[in-house]
Amino acid sequence: MSTSTERPAPRTGTEGTPPRPRKRRQLAPAILLTPAGLVMIAVTVLPIILLVGISFTDFNQRSLFTGTYSGVGVEQYTRVFTDPDFWLSLLRTILFTAAMVIGSVVIGMAVAALMTRLGPPMRYVVTVVLICAWAMPNVASSIVWTWLFQPGYGVLNWLLTRLMVFGDMTATNWAQDPLLSAASIWALIVWQAVPFIALTLYAAQIQIPIEYYEAARLDGASEWTIYRGITLVFLKPTLLLITILSIIWDFNVFNQIWLISRGGPDSATTTLGVFTYQTAFVGFDLGGGAAISVISTVILLGLTAVYIRNLIRSGEDL
Amino acid sequence: MNLTTNAPQAPATTQDALTTIGQAPDLKQPRRRRRRPVRWVSNTIAVIFCIVWIFPVYWMVNTAFKPRSEITTATPHFLPSAPTLDNFVLAITGTSFLTNLVNSLIVVAGTVVLSVVVGFFAAAALSRFRFRGRRAIMVTILAVQMLPGAALLIPTFLMFNAVNLLGTFLGLILAYVAAVLPFSIWVMRGFFIAIPLEIEEAAKIDGAGTTRILFSVLFPLVAPGVISTSIFAFIAAWNDYLVAYTFMRDPGMYTLPVWLASFTTPTTGTDFGGQMAGSVLISLPVIIFFLIIQRNLVSGMSAGAVKG
Repeated sequence: MSTSTERPAPRTGTEGTPPRPRKRRQLAPAILLTPAGLVMIAVTVLPIILLVGISFTDFNQRSLFTGTYSGVGVEQYTRVFTDPDFWLSLLRTILFTAAMVIGSVVIGMAVAALMTRLGPPMRYVVTVVLICAWAMPNVASSIVWTWLFQPGYGVLNWLLTRLMVFGDMTATNWAQDPLLSAASIWALIVWQAVPFIALTLYAAQIQIPIEYYEAARLDGASEWTIYRGITLVFLKPTLLLITILSIIWDFNVFNQIWLISRGGPDSATTTLGVFTYQTAFVGFDLGGGAAISVISTVILLGLTAVYIRNLIRSGEDL
Repeated sequence: MNLTTNAPQAPATTQDALTTIGQAPDLKQPRRRRRRPVRWVSNTIAVIFCIVWIFPVYWMVNTAFKPRSEITTATPHFLPSAPTLDNFVLAITGTSFLTNLVNSLIVVAGTVVLSVVVGFFAAAALSRFRFRGRRAIMVTILAVQMLPGAALLIPTFLMFNAVNLLGTFLGLILAYVAAVLPFSIWVMRGFFIAIPLEIEEAAKIDGAGTTRILFSVLFPLVAPGVISTSIFAFIAAWNDYLVAYTFMRDPGMYTLPVWLASFTTPTTGTDFGGQMAGSVLISLPVIIFFLIIQRNLVSGMSAGAVKG
């Protein structure tokens, strides 16, 4: 942790953490931490250890009832790594995550910039709209999505037909087309991801001192130059963290895909999460599922390390 | 005692960047006449954006209030011509809604209480005391928050299966508490840090012990953090589908999201009116809570990300 050495010497005032207390209070934090520690150990730490353990066994449906299983070494891993379905779903996950992150961050940035240009009433309306989209439980939004895109009666099919661009789409079955089902799920995720990004970026954007903008305007800079030269520079740390968070969240998307397409048609929307679930809880190959889980956890931990390093660098006092 | 009156309104670590939501700096003052058209263009774009973004919500509500005959028409009706509550009545009385609602409430209440109490103690330990390993614990908490929930599903499933917690409310509650705890510790810790040490010292001089200080002095000051934690825990337990779907095999034990995902009425099979009414019923409490605590959610979810 080289960052700790760069930290400013003793903080002053009420903003920092309390100064080093005396030795005799050492027992209190241990007692206070015990309940949380027990819960975390029982439901997080032990499962992680167990997960790694299972991934080296042939645990399956039979083992659930008989309790017998045997160690198979790294066989599960070699099976996973030689399984083309795994590589395909990993590739899909990466492409899908990239598309969702790019879509939601770009739209979120645009909405944040838009919000700074609105009067208070209109900005309030935008905020409420964003929160409505954000707050929908994703089971509800997935159900609504299947209804919006329902062949024959879906309102979006009807509206797209009215546009006269794509021809008659009223009977289009989105769930049956690999590209269209991915597109509708993409739209759902982006729809629910933009609010958090837009509101966070807006909050960061209004912290930028006005003087910079005034000076730039006096110099006759165009709006686009101002956005690139001032706003983006100030937003950079926030933007970075939001992007990392979005990657982590979108990488883990499961509910929406499962409820809308079950990973179909023909595995076209089977991402790593869906693939894991199918292996472990549909085929009840828990050993194989555990191996895939371990692999995706390692990928995510790599991303998380970047996130935490950035958080520490941005000055959060741990 | 006057120290307590200007006690923290918000966690100083993450909140300050957000206090100004809803009141942008007035960038437009100096060149009002030139910027008029820009404001006009912005408003138009904003209106279009709002229409697009609210459309799914509007369509859900619209469908929920339509009589059955108007729902599946070749040309969609953009307003119900004869609004009806039939879909809601059907969703509530024609299915096991009430049973599942009670299940959801049990699980939500358990999750909220446990995560607040346990999180409060841990947050106190991690903010009011300095000890070895504190930093490591904070980093672990952050890392755990990022773990894919689906990955923990398999081992938790097996563990709960072994100790007969599978299919029980307690098992579900424990899984949710573990998921919510990192956030709850993080948010309440922010409020703890903002409390001046002098308050604690004053209480100690007056003869209060550690327990007394914790509950009578610190707890009221952390109340806003307790509220956001409760709401966050409520939302997590109320919304979860994956864990409940995997752990609860008996439909009588389903929580509402699992109920909604498997929504069919005995007579008609897929019933969009009923599904939309069910979606409205599930979404309403969450939307209301989000509107109440939007600021804390932004700061909490990014765990300090917005600190510029």
